[in-house]
Amino acid sequence: MANIELLILLVIGFAVLSYIITRLNAFIGAVVTIVATTIVFSALAYYGLSMNIDTTSFILPFMSFEQTYLGTYFVLIIVFIYMMVSFFHPYYVDHYRYKAAYHFLFLLSLAAVMGAFYSSNLVQLFFFFELIVWSTLFLIPMGKSKEAAVMYYGFSAFGSLAMFFGILVVYQATGFTSINALSLISGNQALMVLISFMLAGFAKLGAFPLHVWLPVAHSNAPHPFSPVLSGALVKLGAFISILALVRIAPATQLFEAIGLPFAQYAIAILGAITIVFGTLMAIKEDDAKKLLAYSSMSHGGYILVAFAVLDSVGFAGGLYHILAHALASAAAFMAIGAVARATGTTKMKELGGMIHKMPITYLVYLVAIISMAGIPPMGGFISKWLIFQTVINQGLIFIGIAVFFGSIGSFLYVFRPLAALFLGQELSVYQDKVKEAPILMLIPMIILTLMNMYTGILPSKIMGFINKVIRELGYPSVVLNGEQIVGYNGVLNPPLIAIVFGFGVVVAFIIFILLKKSRKVGLMDTYTAANFVHNEELLHYSVDFYAPLERLYEKHSTKMQEFYEKLAHKVKELGRFAKYLFMSHYVEVAVLWILTILIFVLWGEI
Amino acid sequence: MLVNILVGFAIAFFGFVLQTSVAGINRKVVARLQKRYGPRWYQEFLDIFKLLSKRSVSHGWIFDFGVIMALGGIIATAMFMPLTSSIVAFQGYDNFFIFVYLLAVGMLGMAMSASGSGNPFASIGVMRALTTMLAYEVPFMIIVLTIINLSGSSSLTEIALFQQMAGNHWFIIALPLGGLVGLIALMGMLGKKPFETYIAPAEIASGPMVEYGGKQLGMLFIMHEITVFIEVSLFVHLFLGGAENIIMFLIKYIAVYTILNLVSNVNGRLKIDQVVVFFYKWPLFLAVVQAIIAIYFGWVV
Repeated sequence: MANIELLILLVIGFAVLSYIITRLNAFIGAVVTIVATTIVFSALAYYGLSMNIDTTSFILPFMSFEQTYLGTYFVLIIVFIYMMVSFFHPYYVDHYRYKAAYHFLFLLSLAAVMGAFYSSNLVQLFFFFELIVWSTLFLIPMGKSKEAAVMYYGFSAFGSLAMFFGILVVYQATGFTSINALSLISGNQALMVLISFMLAGFAKLGAFPLHVWLPVAHSNAPHPFSPVLSGALVKLGAFISILALVRIAPATQLFEAIGLPFAQYAIAILGAITIVFGTLMAIKEDDAKKLLAYSSMSHGGYILVAFAVLDSVGFAGGLYHILAHALASAAAFMAIGAVARATGTTKMKELGGMIHKMPITYLVYLVAIISMAGIPPMGGFISKWLIFQTVINQGLIFIGIAVFFGSIGSFLYVFRPLAALFLGQELSVYQDKVKEAPILMLIPMIILTLMNMYTGILPSKIMGFINKVIRELGYPSVVLNGEQIVGYNGVLNPPLIAIVFGFGVVVAFIIFILLKKSRKVGLMDTYTAANFVHNEELLHYSVDFYAPLERLYEKHSTKMQEFYEKLAHKVKELGRFAKYLFMSHYVEVAVLWILTILIFVLWGEI
Repeated sequence: MLVNILVGFAIAFFGFVLQTSVAGINRKVVARLQKRYGPRWYQEFLDIFKLLSKRSVSHGWIFDFGVIMALGGIIATAMFMPLTSSIVAFQGYDNFFIFVYLLAVGMLGMAMSASGSGNPFASIGVMRALTTMLAYEVPFMIIVLTIINLSGSSSLTEIALFQQMAGNHWFIIALPLGGLVGLIALMGMLGKKPFETYIAPAEIASGPMVEYGGKQLGMLFIMHEITVFIEVSLFVHLFLGGAENIIMFLIKYIAVYTILNLVSNVNGRLKIDQVVVFFYKWPLFLAVVQAIIAIYFGWVV
């Protein structure tokens, strides 16, 4: 038996330990994070999957824990990503100014994650969420920019406050703050709580219209931390959204034709806008990490759509998508991180031909994007298939447009880094100095790649666990038949697809190998329409890859940015006004205001 | 299992032979249209075999690996395709989404290989192909959404059987707007004029194909023929009621392909942004109108 409280304290202990050790030797300090995350993941996986975590609390004051299938599902995914990422630490630790603090905060945020998903109390959940935000807040500026951290904090704080407001409403209505109290409220209060919780969910998930922080934070975070942000921490938003959408049932008007309550349909529409917006912005992006960040945003939209439709196949799709995207996005970010470590940039126009020096990293990225684009035989296909099932079954046409657009659009944007960064001409700048990533970095990338394949070929174990989650949420489980998944309008047999695909590749390989061997020529030896080009850069088509498509919506792409800039300006003005009123050089003015406010507050009491 | 795989492979091979012959015949048809004699009907076979036997150049391992992945993915996709209601390799698993997304593996392989050649023309071609895909796929998927919603199944044979049942029309008649959208989208899929922007031989030197020769090009030709077979068969099963027997399948298949080829030959080529604007203007609008009146109002002919 593992006690969750002891585990959390253990991680905090490791955090302190790694802080001290990193002060002495940065490399060993980084290894401590690997050991800590591995121990915690093993404990959670071993006891958590069989629901054997001891949740009694006797050290931490005011804390109460409970284990749910939903929380276990999330915590396992997130801790797994943490574990994978920690393998990167020894190679990046030299890049940070505050090495010890980085390791300390990294493990502290892990402790907070575990606390959040095992909380049985909303206030405690809020506390751990804040702990995650506060610890990660200082990790992000260790990459490039401080502004990114400010944006991240601003939106997170907005979400947290909205959630806190919701918790207060719940407490006022029911007198409890336990998570189960969510299902006790009704009427207008329920709607209010739903909206405030969804605001929190949107802010954390980076969904439209609260998405602005996401690309900035992801692209500016240190390279090993971006996979955690995108693969793990963003999923906190999905967790709150699930709590809100499933536990609270506000009585809003039903759309007769669609069969969905109005509130849910509105959330699904916002999810759909998130998908389209994220896709269009990702297509346009030149920075590989920013591109993947926008893709995370669009995948967040899929998760919202899946949960907003309120049926078990949708839930299964959403939950599976959380797993598949966490694995794929972590692998993709890590591959880009490995390239960035070798070259010092993530700008696609400055890179090219990495495949010749980093073939394994390339294959990791390839498998990750196949999963991300929802192509069989990888995990992303199964989750997208499930989401399509429910969208089609309910006849959600407008959401269908977004879902299909995002799915095809993802082919476009995931292909860009593949072509610009890994393929094409091998640029002379990097020809000598770039090497394949070291073995310790390849280990997690290869594990993630194998996991991507496993989730796409043998889904029955994972679907079995997801079914437990769905039953816990109060919906009937999805029908499984061995490895086959039964949807509304068809049966999916992932192992069969994998076998047939393997057969096809073998046939093609036999044809290839039987024919005459080809002569190997260099990359510069290409058809250039009788022009002599001696410069690799001129033969590498990677800047503004989708220029003709981008031109069609370029004008409108900065609108949200401008809106938030205006908003920020207004907030600053308000701050200046407050400063002018309260913080003048004369002490008398401040005292006057304090007195006025005191009188105002105490008006009724006296 | 093994038998099913062999049947599937036989279907894929049949598809290759069928489409290569039909393409040859169509070259003759087009030639007559332009007052020429045209090549013999088996010319396409000769081209492919000649290419396969030639010695070629390779631009590195990804160049070869991509070609293998492309052909393998397409063969795998074709193995799921039903020919008639009874000739199908994996009964019950001929899910529509498998065709759309497993096809994408092959496309990805080819795009990867082309970009790996290091020729900018190839990259431009890939960019255009993907953009075209984004254009035609969304209206097409909306219509398929309607079809699956109405017939209650995403299995191609079941959709075909649904149309063959008494009282149901073929979907091209039951959903006339949708049928039109399906035809236009099929032209986009096949890369027929006016949507052949990503090949555009006179403009970007055949786009993705520019660096290929010898066995790689031969394998991509095979891949192309099987892709066309998959896409046209998809249309036959979704919109034309499938086929009760192999003769009906051949008739429908050849009719669809020939008509599209004739239409394409009196058209010019659109620019790539025009392709996108076109598909998001009329076909998408028609598709949505069709979906709304069919799903929400239940008006189906």
